[in-house]
Amino acid sequence: MTHRSDILLEARGVQHAYREDGRTYPVLHGVDLTLRRGEFTLIMGPSGCGKTTLLHILGLMMHPTAGRIELDGVELTGLPDAERTRCRRERIGFVFQRFNLLPILSARANVELALRLRRVPLDGQVGRVLEQVGLADKAHLKPRALSIGEQQRVAIARAVVGRPAILLADEPTGNLDSANADRVLALLRDIHAATGLTTLMITHNERLADVADRVLHMRDGRLTE
Amino acid sequence: MASLAVANLVHRKLRSALSILAVGLGVAMLIVMLGLSHGTLDEVADRIQSVDAELVVLPQHENIIFTGGAAFSEKYRPLIEQVELDGRRCVASVVPVLFDTVRMGGQQQRLFAIDAADLPIFLGPRRLASGTFFEAPLRLAAHLDTLRNAQGYYDPTRVDPAALDAACELLLDSRLALVGGYRVGHTETILGRTFRVVGIVESGVAGRVFCPIQVLQYIKCAGMPWASMFFVKLAPPPTGHEAGYADRCAAAIADRTKARVELKTAYGALLAESFSQIYMYINSASAVSILVCFLFILLTMYTTVLERTREIGILRSLGAGSGYLVREFMAEALIICGSGTAVGIAMAYTAKYTIETVRPLLTVRISPTFLFLAAVIGLVGGIGSALYPGLRAARIDPVAALNFE
Ligand SMILES: Nc1ncnc2c1ncn2[C@@H]1O[C@H](COP(=O)(O)OP(=O)(O)O)[C@@H](O)[C@H]1O
Ligand SMILES: [Mg+2]
Repeated sequence: MTHRSDILLEARGVQHAYREDGRTYPVLHGVDLTLRRGEFTLIMGPSGCGKTTLLHILGLMMHPTAGRIELDGVELTGLPDAERTRCRRERIGFVFQRFNLLPILSARANVELALRLRRVPLDGQVGRVLEQVGLADKAHLKPRALSIGEQQRVAIARAVVGRPAILLADEPTGNLDSANADRVLALLRDIHAATGLTTLMITHNERLADVADRVLHMRDGRLTE
Repeated sequence: MASLAVANLVHRKLRSALSILAVGLGVAMLIVMLGLSHGTLDEVADRIQSVDAELVVLPQHENIIFTGGAAFSEKYRPLIEQVELDGRRCVASVVPVLFDTVRMGGQQQRLFAIDAADLPIFLGPRRLASGTFFEAPLRLAAHLDTLRNAQGYYDPTRVDPAALDAACELLLDSRLALVGGYRVGHTETILGRTFRVVGIVESGVAGRVFCPIQVLQYIKCAGMPWASMFFVKLAPPPTGHEAGYADRCAAAIADRTKARVELKTAYGALLAESFSQIYMYINSASAVSILVCFLFILLTMYTTVLERTREIGILRSLGAGSGYLVREFMAEALIICGSGTAVGIAMAYTAKYTIETVRPLLTVRISPTFLFLAAVIGLVGGIGSALYPGLRAARIDPVAALNFE
């Protein structure tokens, strides 16, 4: 039995359909998901099954066609856009398959940006997090000058520097070779172990199953244990 | 907060430089056009202030600037001289001027035809840089006086041609002499006659070219003593009646002559007024040029939004709200417009220096008002050109933007 206060995020009956040229393409058919505080959860499923769509919905990047999402007991789908943006800014950290660093900013400035957006003072955290991801000495470089593995580590630093309530990682190793992938996975594990940051990662790579506390499978727009 | 804006500007150096240049050109154009048009008129007005008289009498319905012909007959002069205020004559002297235009020093100059005896009123404390004052014209005036009938007319056929030729003299101001390379003894053909430069006076006098009024009257008016306008020097006010004395005299003269009588100090305003139409064109042209510059900035900011769609998606995924995006765009536009305004002001001063060096007869006057105007325009333009692109950026769907290639 789980205590309600143990539950960080709860999604109920989340449905989504893309609309294109007047036709609708259903992708999510009623997803139920409960994430406990401090848990490292992995959702596995084949390409195109709707994992990214679910992650974007949970990360308030898009509206589901139907369903409810609660974060810390607060219903989020009905909130006005400005509130959803604020929630995304303050409580959610994203790591993407494509890194999504700003090319014109240095690694350090990319990480700082997360704090600037939150309007919190930059007191040493940026340096510490860059140290943690092993890039303190390359912080001044632009993403272009970094290897892809390093770029993803900068992205992870940016996602966690503001101490979000939850980290959402969308195939963070999808664009990496296996050596870099291992390093990124180890980093995510370390951060989780050190901070207890609730982490939800999605992947289509069956090989990664053992990094998580819990593995869920997604098939045909539904989740199964 | 401005860090991203600065990073973007640094990242696209050429675009930033061109944008700053565009704003700079617009601002410089605005300042120089205003400075040139106002400066040239102000300079004329300032020179008029050097005349030792308090009032100007102008034809009622003629534009002060384009007054060239003989607007006043000889009957006006005694009329003005005899005006009384509180039972007392208030006019010390009436100084007629007949205008024409001549081309000297590479541009049109207003020719001030005056009575040689009135020269001190025009020169004031200024000295001759070289040459002499009018002398032959004094002899011509005396000769003509012997020919005049009771009405002041004379028969032009009886004028001694030698005396007339001798009186064809010019006085130039030192600025025109410098520009045209004129020296004492130089001859210039004006209105079909050969005039000789006899003297060069310090600049700052009302006209750049003076000639004897009797000569111009002979050429233009068949000898009739007509004038384009009068300067009026007032008698000193009775003690205790100083306040508003010149105004009351002006009103009395206007009442008597039905002409337009203005304080000399109002001449600048009169000039500006008579140029209001032209000012309107100049101001409109300047406004259009600055508008085009800001449209250019608006366009670059707008294409920037398209070009940065992915980056905007990233910012949105990090939780950047519309306020943040609008502020970032605004910071960027303000930096461009602010630097552009500064560059424009610098270019305007460079242009002023260049213009005044190449064409010394032109005056570009850059007043604090123009600089303030430029700064305000830069600010408003910056905000205006960033607002729409910023708001558009804030409405971009984050997921679509992240998938944008
Ligand atoms: N913007 C979109 N418009 C239409 N269809 C989309 C869009 N995004 C994703 N899809 C479709 O939705 C399905 C699920 O996509 P996605 O959530 O990206 O899957 P996954 O991340 O599991 O590979 C796919 O069939 C994909 O083609
Ligand atoms: Mg995906």
